[in-house]
Amino acid sequence: MLNPTRNRYRNEPAFDEVVAAHPDFPRLIALKIDVQRRGVLYTESAFRAVDPERHQLYTWGGVHYPHSLLLRDGTTVLANPQPEERDPYRVEYTEGRFVLVDEGEIIEEVEIWPRPRYYDKKTSSGLLMKEVVSARPQRLDIFASAFCHFAHAEDNGCKFCPLPAHHRQLRETYDLPTRLRAHDVKECIAEALKEPGRFTNIHITGGSVVKGKEILDAELSYYIDLLKHIGELFSTPRFPSQLLATAYNEKQLARLREETGLGSFTADIEVLNEEKFNWICPGKAHWIGYREWKRRLVDAVGVFGRGNVGTGIVGGVETAPPHGFTSESDALEATLSEAEDLAEKGVTTVHTVWVPQKGSEFHELKAPSLDYFIRLAKGLQGLRVKHGLSVDFDDYRRCGNHPDSDLARLQ
Amino acid sequence: MSHVLNADVIALLEHPDTVRILATVDGQGVPHAVVKKSIHLGDDGNIHYLELLETSATNRNMVRSIWFDGTVAITLANPDGRSAQIKGRPVKAHITGPLFLHHYNRLKDIDADAELAAVWIIEPRLALDQTFAARRDAERASHPHFAHLDRLRR
Repeated sequence: MLNPTRNRYRNEPAFDEVVAAHPDFPRLIALKIDVQRRGVLYTESAFRAVDPERHQLYTWGGVHYPHSLLLRDGTTVLANPQPEERDPYRVEYTEGRFVLVDEGEIIEEVEIWPRPRYYDKKTSSGLLMKEVVSARPQRLDIFASAFCHFAHAEDNGCKFCPLPAHHRQLRETYDLPTRLRAHDVKECIAEALKEPGRFTNIHITGGSVVKGKEILDAELSYYIDLLKHIGELFSTPRFPSQLLATAYNEKQLARLREETGLGSFTADIEVLNEEKFNWICPGKAHWIGYREWKRRLVDAVGVFGRGNVGTGIVGGVETAPPHGFTSESDALEATLSEAEDLAEKGVTTVHTVWVPQKGSEFHELKAPSLDYFIRLAKGLQGLRVKHGLSVDFDDYRRCGNHPDSDLARLQ
Repeated sequence: MSHVLNADVIALLEHPDTVRILATVDGQGVPHAVVKKSIHLGDDGNIHYLELLETSATNRNMVRSIWFDGTVAITLANPDGRSAQIKGRPVKAHITGPLFLHHYNRLKDIDADAELAAVWIIEPRLALDQTFAARRDAERASHPHFAHLDRLRR
């Protein structure tokens, strides 16, 4: 039975009905997808129970929001707060626990991400460490550069991406440099590593920078410097890490591998269809191009090795009107066919759940159905199994934002 | 606190010489039973164990169980002859947070090289006394026809 609010916002089958149609798909992962898709609304009881000493919070518009959630199987849910009219799940606090509530019924117990110890400390340059390096349950996140050439210099950014707008606000609020300084990042990570058992991966990303002798050389040199600084903290030549960058050419990839201790390389192609890519990611299309992006991913396998190279897609954005696929089955078939082409060559594809967000050009649109995301997650994980590909660097624990790589826990 | 585990089972669970075996099932129904020294009674009345290997068959089977409501079995056997079996459901995997960090640090003190993948919580649903004499008495009481006649000879 659909509630009146949902009838207005989404006309679709109930969660249980969709999950029942996929008995081989874990209900908890379906729930993760649905919570990401619909977002969350923290109730007063939840806000009252949040403890800044124990829980990881962020401040937005003067409100201290829980950073995000964990399900009881260890699955991470990265869900954004959404207003009531968007039909979000509610997070309440009752009988000593946080719970997800839908249509008045408790669906699951959840936990708020635990707060790392380094969060209150400051770098020697005076920056609050949590604003320099943020944390997921077991990952350190470095959003190294708020500047994206495609978005800021050319107004040609990816149409689903709210990050340039979001990070511009963050940096203004906290007086952070546009590009983080390597010694600040190194200090934060050194402090984070003092907490045993807390982190298993370091993730670095940022906007695209096309400057340089060859395009992207400036972006690459910055990351190499950053990774060298971070590498000084480890006793091993390589350390569990993921760089999510623009697609580099073979020479640039070789530099990255040889000069740093980076463990894995990812360059998000975002949409696995050339025509949709050209429309949705005009900056990437202009400077690199769809086919070249794919070629560079395959080149990266030669440099970093099979199982250490991935690409991300924004699952569902390929259905965005007016130029996206009008049929979910066509979208799925096209996406999985291209993902298989990459998998055959050693590149693994993971998807996020597209949530149309404020600050992006697509913010008024709607994401596809839960059924679509279940099929997409199953399809991508199925390709990994078929082609013997691992996704250890981007799994439920190292990342936690890809329903398909959550499924790799059974692989 | 669980009411499934009686004082005898708890005593067995807490005895340092008790061998603890965790049996799980994979996606094809193939059983996998291994010794898990870390199986213990948690403060919440559930069974806890430390999984040290992320991709072990047991860990994969535990994930499958929590995802698809599967049951696992724990056998406890003491050299003095006492034995029990507990059937239970995995209900939670701690991969971060206070309980995880508590065990991570404790483990490091024991073996500096040890990793910790998860602290699994198993909710006991049924506990059986598997001590042979107890099982034999129960069998005789409920199935009096199952006996060789020579044993009953005057």
